[in-house]
Amino acid sequence: MSDLHLAPRTTDTSAGPARLLLLPTGVRDVVSFRGSFQTAPDFGADDDILQDIVASVLDKGTQARDRFEIAQELEGRGAQVSFYSDGLRMGFSGRALRDDLAEVLAIVAEQVRQPALDADEIQKAVVRATAGVRRSLESTGAQASGALARRLYPPAHPNYALEPETELARLDGVTVEAVRAYHAAHVGSDGFTLAVVGDVSPATADAVADAFGGWPATGRTATFDAAAAPLPPGRVEVPMEDRRNLDVHLGHAVDLRRDSPDFLAAYAGVFALGGNFSGRLMQTVRDEQGLTYGIGAGLGGPSVEHDGHVRIQVTLSQENLARGVAATRAEVEGFVADGVSAEALRQTQTTLAGLHVVGLATTGGLAARLLVNAERGFALDYLDRYPDLVHELTTREVTEAVRRHLRPADLHEAVAGSLPT
Amino acid sequence: MPAESVDHAAFEFVHAAGGAEEYRHRGNGLSVLLVPDDAAPVVAFQVTYRVGSRNEGAGLTGATHLLEHLMFKGSERFNRDLGTSVFQTLQAVGGQINATTWYDRTNYYALLPSEHLEKAVEIEADRMRGARVRDEDLASERTVVLNELDRGENEALRKLLHATYATAFQAHPYGHPVIGWRSDVETVTADGLRHFYDTYYWPQNATATVAGQFDRADALDVVDRHFGAIAAGPEEDPAAPEPLVHRALDAAVTREPEQRGERRVTVRQAGELGAVLLAYKAPAGLDEAADALDVLVQVLAAGKSSRLYRALTDRGLATSCSAYFPRLRDPGLFVAYATLAPDVTHETAEAELKAALAAVAADGVTDQELARARRQVVADEAFGRDGPYAVVAQLNEAVAVGDWTLFADYRDRVEAVTAADVQAAAAQILDDDRLTVGWYVPDVGQAL
Repeated sequence: MSDLHLAPRTTDTSAGPARLLLLPTGVRDVVSFRGSFQTAPDFGADDDILQDIVASVLDKGTQARDRFEIAQELEGRGAQVSFYSDGLRMGFSGRALRDDLAEVLAIVAEQVRQPALDADEIQKAVVRATAGVRRSLESTGAQASGALARRLYPPAHPNYALEPETELARLDGVTVEAVRAYHAAHVGSDGFTLAVVGDVSPATADAVADAFGGWPATGRTATFDAAAAPLPPGRVEVPMEDRRNLDVHLGHAVDLRRDSPDFLAAYAGVFALGGNFSGRLMQTVRDEQGLTYGIGAGLGGPSVEHDGHVRIQVTLSQENLARGVAATRAEVEGFVADGVSAEALRQTQTTLAGLHVVGLATTGGLAARLLVNAERGFALDYLDRYPDLVHELTTREVTEAVRRHLRPADLHEAVAGSLPT
Repeated sequence: MPAESVDHAAFEFVHAAGGAEEYRHRGNGLSVLLVPDDAAPVVAFQVTYRVGSRNEGAGLTGATHLLEHLMFKGSERFNRDLGTSVFQTLQAVGGQINATTWYDRTNYYALLPSEHLEKAVEIEADRMRGARVRDEDLASERTVVLNELDRGENEALRKLLHATYATAFQAHPYGHPVIGWRSDVETVTADGLRHFYDTYYWPQNATATVAGQFDRADALDVVDRHFGAIAAGPEEDPAAPEPLVHRALDAAVTREPEQRGERRVTVRQAGELGAVLLAYKAPAGLDEAADALDVLVQVLAAGKSSRLYRALTDRGLATSCSAYFPRLRDPGLFVAYATLAPDVTHETAEAELKAALAAVAADGVTDQELARARRQVVADEAFGRDGPYAVVAQLNEAVAVGDWTLFADYRDRVEAVTAADVQAAAAQILDDDRLTVGWYVPDVGQAL
C-alpha cells in the first residue's frame, strides 16, 4: 500500500446538493476548489456548442449584480474563478484565500444558478468563440487533431470535432433564446461534486451547503454515441500557408473505457512508447535521429462513458516530413512486435507512480485529481492504491494490452501545415 | 519555519527572508537557497546559471538555448551509453525534469519524490563541468532545435514579439530571439558551444535551489558532497580553457543607446485575425520603479475589472488583451497588446490601447484599483508557494534579475506601492519617443 493516505484524510460528505470532498493539507492560507455537474447534452443536436457558450457567459454577471460588480468582488479578494464546459459535464475551478472561501463559493453559486445571460454578453461570447475557431485555422496542431477526430468518430460522439467551416456556421446560428433555454434545462445539481483542498476546516462544509443549498437537479439524460465509428484507415491532409512546421497525428479508435479491466495495462504500454522523454519515440525519433522537437503517444478521450483512441503526435519540419512519418511508424511497429521489456516496464511503473505523487503536490492538482476520480465513480482510495496497481502490472499483461489496443496497420494519418511540393 | 540557520562546515549562512535561506559554499562560492515546506513528500531541485541570450554575441545567437539542449545529451557519469541519461535516471524515479532558457538565465530543474533528491544533485553537479557537448550530439540536436524554431515561427504572435524586440533593441542582445536567429542555429559548432559552456557554467555563476520536503542540514551535505570539489570559475582551474569573456560578465553586454523616436514594425503571415502590440522602453528589474510597474500591470490587465479588459475585450474590440513587464537584468520593455476581434482595425485597437495607458499616466489609479492590485499580488504570492515547483520557478526569475530576495520580500514591497508611485511610473515609461509599435497583419484567407 502506498503512503499517500489521501482517503483517510479526506472527508467525503454531503453539503446541500453536493457531494463534498474536503482535504486539508499543510499549505497555509490558501484553498483550491474544483466542482462539476452533469449537463446531459444531446451531441447530435449541437448542444456542445450551446454548452460552451453558456460556460463562457457565467462570469458575465448575475441577475443581482453586473459583471463588473462580480469581478470586483472576486478580484478584490485576490480570488480566481473560471468555468468550463467539458463534454458531458460543466464545472468550475478556482482559488481563494482561506478567509474568503465562504464568500467566494457563494458568488460561484450565484453565477451558476442565476446568471444574467444578457443578450449583449451572449453575442460577444459568440463572437469570441468565432474568433477562436478562426484562430484555430492558424494552428497546425488543432487542424491535425480535428482532422483525425473526424476520421474516427461519428458526429454525435463527444470526441468528434466539427469541420471549422461547419462550426462557424453553427455558431452563426446560435440565438440568445437557445442559450438561455439550454441553461434553464441543463444546468442543475445533477451529479454535483465539489473538491476543496488546502487550508480548509470542517466549517467549509457549512459554507458549501449555504452557497448551493436548494439547487435543484434537472433529471435529464445525455444523448450521444458512445462507440467510435472509424473510416477505413487512410491519410488526410490539411494544407496551410506559411506553416513550415507540420503536425502529424496518427491514431485509431480503441475499444477501451477508463474502467476497462485492461485500461491501466494499455495506458502503461502506450506511456512506454511515448509518454515522456524516456519513451521509445522520443529516444529514437528525437534523441537519436533528430527528426523532431516533439513526439509522443497517448490515449485520447476514453472515459467511463465512451470510447477513445490511441494517438501518436509528431511535429516535423517540411524537409523531414516523409522521413519523420516513416521513422515514427517504424518505431510503433517495432514496439508492438517487440513487446514491452522488463526494464521499460519497470521505468514506466516508477515514472507513473512518481508522477502520481508529484501531481498531488499542489492544492489545485489535488482538487483536480479528487474530482476526476469521483466523476469516474471510483472509490476514494483508488488514488492511494494507484501506485500499487501500477507496480503490480506484468510485462505479459502490458504487452498483451498493447497488442490488443495498438494496431499499426489501422493507424490513420492526419497532416496539417505547408506540405512539401 | 525553522528559526535558526544551519551551522555547516562547508557553507556560510548569508541571509534569510520570506521562508528562504541563502548559503554560500566556502570553497567555490556556489550560492544555495533552501526553502523547506513539509506539505507533500516532494522536493524540487534547480540550478540557475546566470547566462542567457543576453550574453550572446553575433554568430552565437541561440547558443545558450542550444547548449541547454545538449546538456541532456550526457555528461561523464550520466549518459545514454551507460544507460544513465538524465531522463533515464530521473524519470525512472518519477521525476519531472526539464530546463528553460531565457534572456538572463538558464535553469535546470527536477521535481521528484523527496527520497531521490541526491540523485538530482549528483546529476547537476556532474554536468556543471562534465557535459560532453560532442559534435555527433550537436548534429542530431541541431535539427531538433530547428524544428522547435519552425514551430515557433508557425505562431504569428511569437513572430510579432520577435520582430518588436528586434526593432526596439538595436544594440543590446535582448533584440534577438532567445532561440536565436536561424542561420546561427544552423551553423554554430560544438567547439563554439563548448567555449560558451566553459565561460559560464561554473559555481560562481550559479545558484542551486532546494524547495519542498527535506532536511536542511542533509541537503547542504548532499550539495557539498557533489558540488564541493568544483573550482569556482575558470580562473581558479588551471585546466580550464580560455574563457570567451575577460571582463566581469555583466560588463561584456552591449548597452542599448537611448531610443529617440517611435518605431514601427509589421509582420505579415497567412492567418485570420490581427494583433497590435505596444512596447515601451522600461527600467531594469531592480529599478526602484519596477514594483510600481508590476502594480500597473495588475491595474491594466489582471481580471475583468482591469482597464484593458473593460476598454477592449468587454467592448468586443479584442478577443484578448494583456500587459506585462518582464523584470530583466538590464532595461527592458513594458508591453501591452490586443488580439483583434473580427472586423476591428489595427488603428482602432492601437488607439484604445494608447488611450488606456495614457489615462493612467494623466489621472493615476483609483484607491479601489490599487487595493485590488495589492490583494491580487498577495494572493499570487500565497499561491506562488503552493508546491515546490512554483517556489523554485519564482526564485529562478528573481535570481536571474540579480536579487533572490525579490521573491522573498515581494509582498511587503508591493504593499508599500502608492497610487502616486503607479502614476509616476506610468508617466515615466509612456513616452512615444521610446515606443515600438508592432502589428500582425494576417494575409487573410490563406490559412486554409
